[in-house]
Amino acid sequence: MNVPQNYVNQLMAKITTWARVNSPWAIHFNSGSCNGCDIEILATLTPRYDIERFGVKLRGSPRHADVLICTGPVTRQARERLLRTYEQMPDPKFVVAVGSCGISGGVFQGCYNIVGHINEVLPVDAFIPGCPPRPEAIIDGIVKLLTHLQNGTRPEPITFAPQETA
Amino acid sequence: MTTETILQRAGEILAPFSKGNSTPETNRLDVQIEATDLPAATSAMLSNDLGYLSAITPTDLGKEVNKLEVIYHFCEGAAITSLRIHLPREDQPDIPSISDQIPVASFFERELGEMLGVHVVGTPDSSRLFLPDDWPEGVYPLREDFTIEQAAPVTPRETLPEMGRVGNKFTVPIGPQHPALKEPGHFEFAVDGEIITGARMRLGYVHRGIEKATEQRNWIQNLYLLERICGICSHTHTSAYAMGVEKLAQVEVPPRALAIREIVAGLERIHSHLLWLGVAAHEAGFDTLFMYSWRDRETVMDLLETLTGNRVNYSITVLGGVKYDFTAEHSRAIHKAMDYLEERIRYYLHIVTTDASFLQRTRGIGTMSLEEAKHFGALGPTARASGLERDVRIDSPYGAYNRFPVSLITAENGDLEARFEVRMKELLVSCFAIRTIVDNLPAGELAVRFPRKVPAGETISRVEAPRGEAFYYIKSGGGESPTRLKIRTPSLCNWTSALNKSIGHQLADVPMLIAGMDPCFSCNDRMITVRRENDSQTLSWSQMREYGIKKYAETRETK
Repeated sequence: MNVPQNYVNQLMAKITTWARVNSPWAIHFNSGSCNGCDIEILATLTPRYDIERFGVKLRGSPRHADVLICTGPVTRQARERLLRTYEQMPDPKFVVAVGSCGISGGVFQGCYNIVGHINEVLPVDAFIPGCPPRPEAIIDGIVKLLTHLQNGTRPEPITFAPQETA
Repeated sequence: MTTETILQRAGEILAPFSKGNSTPETNRLDVQIEATDLPAATSAMLSNDLGYLSAITPTDLGKEVNKLEVIYHFCEGAAITSLRIHLPREDQPDIPSISDQIPVASFFERELGEMLGVHVVGTPDSSRLFLPDDWPEGVYPLREDFTIEQAAPVTPRETLPEMGRVGNKFTVPIGPQHPALKEPGHFEFAVDGEIITGARMRLGYVHRGIEKATEQRNWIQNLYLLERICGICSHTHTSAYAMGVEKLAQVEVPPRALAIREIVAGLERIHSHLLWLGVAAHEAGFDTLFMYSWRDRETVMDLLETLTGNRVNYSITVLGGVKYDFTAEHSRAIHKAMDYLEERIRYYLHIVTTDASFLQRTRGIGTMSLEEAKHFGALGPTARASGLERDVRIDSPYGAYNRFPVSLITAENGDLEARFEVRMKELLVSCFAIRTIVDNLPAGELAVRFPRKVPAGETISRVEAPRGEAFYYIKSGGGESPTRLKIRTPSLCNWTSALNKSIGHQLADVPMLIAGMDPCFSCNDRMITVRRENDSQTLSWSQMREYGIKKYAETRETK
């Protein structure tokens, strides 16, 4: 039987999208967070909120993960490790920044050991604001990301306005 | 011994070294000594059982005074004896090490070295504590004239070998990113087969520089900054800070506010211990217990949310009182939740002390005797599981703990099982204490007016966090922000014991041993070397990284 190559490609794309949307495995990286966001992410995985019903599973190795969930401002010591973790993830990969500190540096802006927010180090696809965000907000952020994946689009890139000098 | 006798005795013993005594507060004795007398004074304090080393406070007194100040705080019960040493304000003045007498001092001394630029003579390891690898030499963030421009990144020094082999011994690196713990910390375990022969750790991945930042923010802003030291014990930090600042400003906090603070502290302890129970069970491979305890933890989170509006950083404390009032509705909700929790906690207590397969992971693992706990300077439930009666809420009651005391829980065995037992029993105590306060809540104001400026002075405030004693040293210059704020959190003191106790155990026990002390990386960010082997190295990190990227690209191309 002679199947057109085009048809095979389309089918493969459909299957990968289906798999990606239904089992987005995640890895969690704390680059200087106070732990508040981290325990809320963990709470999101436990029975009350149970994000596993969307197929989200927290993995220990970046090699298994599709989504990098980052918390906290980026400290000078963690910057290299954050990049290294990102580099180890297979393509396509998505980054979610959880919490005010990950978005802007939060209360730690101007501290001597802070490089900045996560978008200054990595391209971030989804931002979940809050200090810390409620588990419902984290679920909402993840589901929004999944909707984009379903449509085969990446979320709009966000460009930050240049920081006002304090 | 009562507080008075301890202080009197300390005064007599330290008299030969003293260059001037003072009593800044009724429970404190401040002795000025020469740097060279420090080891002798420390050994006199220890041999007379007059306290454990709680913290070392490094301060730069500034250009005018032209001195550096290092204070060694020894606590016993409510009594605090401080050894105050002045050093010349030059590059790297000498101070002798006391790590040979007190192992935990090793952390504090390395902090002293890198943060203030003091040369600690004879300290076992003077490598980076919690500053990043690319931090320039000779720049000390706690010096008065430090500016962020001075700290421009430099090429990192050649980092320590992270993987290697000597004879039959291997070094196994774990972290900073690893599945067992949710926070970054780097460990290196030297193993002979499966048995650990040496342990080393490097923290600093979440070091943010909060102590310095407090000096640039005003008293009220600091409340919200310090709350974010740790998302798990945020209330501990705000209450310790508020308590100290209120003492300095001589503001009397209304009893109702103190009682509400204690309710929140109790709820925080319950949420923290249940969180720990889940994580520790997860390390043991008992995921069912993990899910159960986190499900039940949501009950407490709901209470905290109804009471304060937030699940994690509650922000209920304000300087001079609390923000939100407590109503009859809250009281009903709390009683109902406590009924449920008490039943569940009894069930968990039963599980962790009887489940045969779980006990194989906990019974007789990491056993720490009373003497060892004392020697390593353990704090909190880790110390109490070894029978060491150390709890700030009982030794030196603060806030509402005078009016609503809690009972002390200790265990004898000192192993992981005992730590589970102590924490579960403490939960029952907290539940009972919360019920008592809710039923007998004093009437009155919620907060009093707090001045914008705080009178000059210094104070120490100690609070029992879920993990042990948190120590705050607050110094005001009379302005709108503190001139120095030193924070010492309990996890820092417990690392020494956890790492030392891992030696001789199997590598597979490590996650449990680490989880057993309930570490909190965001609270303390330092590093320690217990023992290090000389290792060889085949690939440097940068080579390894390039290799990884190349390899990954190759596999992608061949697909």
